[in-house]
Amino acid sequence: MVRIMDKKNNNSDEVILKVEDLCMFFGKRNYVKKAVNNVSFDIRKGEVFGLVGESGCGKTTTGRTIIRLYDATSGNVYFKGQRIVAGTGSYKNELRNIKKEKKKLNAEKPADYENELKKLDERTELLKKEIKSAVHDHKAANSSKLAKNIQMIYQDPVASLDPRMTVREIISEGLVIQGVKDKKLIQEKVYEILETVGLVREHADRYPHEFSGGQRQRIGIARSIIMQPEMIIADEPISALDVSIRAQVINLLNDLRNSMGLTVLFIAHDLSVVKYFSDRIGVMYFGNMVELATSDELFAHPLHPYTRSLLSAIPLPDPNAEKGRVRMHYDPLADHEYSEEEPEFREVGEGHFVRCTQKEFEQYKKDLESPAK
Amino acid sequence: MESKLKVQNLVISFKTASGKLQAVRNISFDLYKGETLAIVGESGSGKSVTSRAIMGILANNAIVDEGKILYGDKDLLKISEEEFHKIRGDKIAMVFQDPLSSLNPIMKVGKQLTEAMLLKNKAARRENRADMNRMFKALETYMEAVGEQGAIKADLSRFRKFEIKHCELESRYQSSLAYAQELLALSENLSLRIKKNSENNIIPDMKEAVRAAKEACSRFVINEKAADAAKLSDELINAYKEGKQSGDRKRTPELLSELGRIADEALKKPVPDTFSIGYYLTYVQNSIPDDMDVTELNAKAGEKMKADFLDGFLGRIEKAVRYSAQQTNQARSEALKLFQKMLPEFEGKLEKSTAAKNADELKKAVAAGIDKLEVELDSVMHTFATSIDYALEHYFSAVPRNEAEKKRFESETAKYERLKAKGKQPEWEVVPASYVDVDAAQAGITDIMKEMMSHLQYKIKQNEDADFAARTAEIVDYLKKCAADSVYRISRSAAKERAVKLMESVGIDEPRKRFDQYPFEFSGGMRQRIVIAIALTADPDVLICDEPTTALDVTIQAQILELINNLKKERDLSVIFITHDLGVVANMADRVAVMYAGKIVEHGTVEDIFYEPAHPYTWALLSSVPDLDTKDKLESIPGTPPNMIYPPVGDAFADRNKYALAIDFERQPPMFRITDSHYAATWLLHPNAPKTEPPEIIKQRIEKMRKKRNGENNGQEEQ
Repeated sequence: MVRIMDKKNNNSDEVILKVEDLCMFFGKRNYVKKAVNNVSFDIRKGEVFGLVGESGCGKTTTGRTIIRLYDATSGNVYFKGQRIVAGTGSYKNELRNIKKEKKKLNAEKPADYENELKKLDERTELLKKEIKSAVHDHKAANSSKLAKNIQMIYQDPVASLDPRMTVREIISEGLVIQGVKDKKLIQEKVYEILETVGLVREHADRYPHEFSGGQRQRIGIARSIIMQPEMIIADEPISALDVSIRAQVINLLNDLRNSMGLTVLFIAHDLSVVKYFSDRIGVMYFGNMVELATSDELFAHPLHPYTRSLLSAIPLPDPNAEKGRVRMHYDPLADHEYSEEEPEFREVGEGHFVRCTQKEFEQYKKDLESPAK
Repeated sequence: MESKLKVQNLVISFKTASGKLQAVRNISFDLYKGETLAIVGESGSGKSVTSRAIMGILANNAIVDEGKILYGDKDLLKISEEEFHKIRGDKIAMVFQDPLSSLNPIMKVGKQLTEAMLLKNKAARRENRADMNRMFKALETYMEAVGEQGAIKADLSRFRKFEIKHCELESRYQSSLAYAQELLALSENLSLRIKKNSENNIIPDMKEAVRAAKEACSRFVINEKAADAAKLSDELINAYKEGKQSGDRKRTPELLSELGRIADEALKKPVPDTFSIGYYLTYVQNSIPDDMDVTELNAKAGEKMKADFLDGFLGRIEKAVRYSAQQTNQARSEALKLFQKMLPEFEGKLEKSTAAKNADELKKAVAAGIDKLEVELDSVMHTFATSIDYALEHYFSAVPRNEAEKKRFESETAKYERLKAKGKQPEWEVVPASYVDVDAAQAGITDIMKEMMSHLQYKIKQNEDADFAARTAEIVDYLKKCAADSVYRISRSAAKERAVKLMESVGIDEPRKRFDQYPFEFSGGMRQRIVIAIALTADPDVLICDEPTTALDVTIQAQILELINNLKKERDLSVIFITHDLGVVANMADRVAVMYAGKIVEHGTVEDIFYEPAHPYTWALLSSVPDLDTKDKLESIPGTPPNMIYPPVGDAFADRNKYALAIDFERQPPMFRITDSHYAATWLLHPNAPKTEPPEIIKQRIEKMRKKRNGENNGQEEQ
């Protein structure tokens, strides 16, 4: 087991989760849906990282791939320096192709086919090695119980709670699976957690349908924090809730974050809440991360046209501003010229990344130095 | 402003196992034409129940205790289900909250979109034919009385015959015109895509353009250039494919721009008068010269028809209208006398059998006063029978029901007291007694009669100084419309085309492919768009949106809000927008009503609510939403809304309100007037109340918004 090297307390420079060129494709050869395409970002200890974008852009898929609910196509995810996700899908695909090519070569026997075959064999060897190491890492991650350090809060508080289990069973399920047998201990922990999230002890023996939406979401949160995780992936935890209850849940998450030192990957589409809650924000569009910056920087100087259109769409509780609001339209066809050069993820300002071509990069840099108007 | 929908003193409760749940407690509002009224509140505040009452789709256990919902002059709570069929979906449409449960999971979305269109079209054909025949029959009977039966019969058979030709011409013209428009749009779009090198899926769209070019060729649209258009469009796809192989890509854009020019030219042509041309083709000459100008043709056909047919026809109809007006006025004055005689009887003590007999007499008198030649059905007179029956039934069933309720309540209370006296604490509570107000029920009966009386007086007056020529023209227009609609058949493919257009207009990519998919293949946002498209298929007057964007993300939310706003402007829609997102309210609403626990606690224009909120609940709502500059802890509203089976005696919000006064727990506050447009129900506005300021966070925000607004104004002045 890898020992974590340093523990700089409260210093948020320590990277807790590192996502590297993560790809998650769905579908077969002729119809591939690139749900997550080459996404990389770091999350530092104790920070809230917001992930925004329209529905279907791959936010949730990113979150789910990180906790390996899906098998990643390629790319790696490191949690506290240990690899927990290693994408093997693309390797397997390549292996399959190599097999076919070999067959073809053997059948046709062109001029220097032996050389070709040798090359292919070398490649096969390499790929197999990669897959082997990935499998090994997955096993290591499982046995080191690192998994329990990342927990997830789901979007729909109604669908994510088993209607036939009492609240006690729901909350303590994780503990039981991890092998805790002492019933008294479990009970104490459940009561403690219930009180932390603002429910009372009597609630432990009730069923989920007896609670309101906000209380159900609190149960979901209780379930995820009973394992004392270091990181929480919150997948739209408030979008199914009422206004007045939203504020309660956000305040709760904020309190928990301060008292337990949680790191949060906050996936949401309500931008004013994301702005309020997150330290840094990543903007996704059609599987690509298009812009990443601290939340103040992103809202003050949005560079990518998609981010601008997204920010211009936020409804504000101010009728006059709303009546005069001009929504910017984002049309990738009209806004970019990608026919010559593929865009890359570049650092424009300090900690401010944008996906752009070289030409756009210079333009953005200029924009950032002299904020127009 | 014209009021489109009026809700007056609406009280709705639900019968549940544990008692009567008061969902809506005496609310009233008006919805004006072309405005958006936002209803804001937490879940369980009665927003959705109100909207469902308007649509007439309340759950089975709902009881409407009191109140009226007036659409035009129809009370939606009283009209029969058959009449409601003509309103629900057609005139008042609804977008539901949950797109998952409002779509049928085992039906393809395309079918769900076209289903209503096809069914409505079939029903409309049948209905319009019935309407037309009814009008023909009425005309014939009245003319018989005057003695010109033969002439009108000849006229009507003539009308029927050439009207078919008219409809054919008109529908052909309209569809070609639509295709020409599509051709123009497609040619521009395709040129742009080729220029920008984005050619995914371009072939299906090109095929579409080719089809549009062919369909747009007809006598009144692309006529002279039809051969050109056909040649160009035939060449298009091959030219594109060849160009892609050889690399010389000039030809395709050339072809497209040429096609676009032809379509544009065709769209600028004058509109043909198909009614007259239809007559001309049927009775004068069965083909028209190809080179004749449209304006010339219009004039010629119009003249011929006027001399041959229209003048005589109009004269005869006018005679019939005059005769029927005279007849009905007589019947109406008699009915009025009868009402005056009966009114005291209904005000006194009522007895079931005599009341029913008297009501029957009244119904007969009213029925005699209905003018059969009226185009717009007079709903007050038509619904009189059902509404008085309902009111009588309500009154006579209330008396025994109250008795039973009293008995139950007394025995339960006695049992409860007995247990209490023994020192036990029962786990159940006594369900409060719910009595029907008998006096109010009787007043309801006399109200209907009084309303009918004033209506009769108004109708008599209206007939005395009527413009008969205008009425005649109205009848002819009505017959034209009925005839057109009774043969207008939406084919399956036409319905598909329309559905695809609607899907495109609500922002769904690749609508043709999506048309054949099932709801589970769509994401939440896309599903909601389908639901909105379905609501729009019938071109409604009033659109009720029950949290349509709650499940969607910002960009799509903004798109859908823009879509609804555009539709509102285009069609002069009135929108009731139910939501709890205050940002959305600021964007959409002209006026806002804030609801809490079944009551409207504050209403006013958007500016009133956002810049000068007066009710503590509005304050709480505003302060629990973060805006882009919020850094402090959010102020959440503590607790949950009260249980409405046992509604609190005083202000329902008092328990969660940190500004609550002692009187809030004892008496319900009335509506205090702040300005003419702004009202709020809170004791804080009473002159004797202590001066209370809204919370700091709101004051700061309002201050900031003020500054921003002033800044903008100054900036504009300087320019």
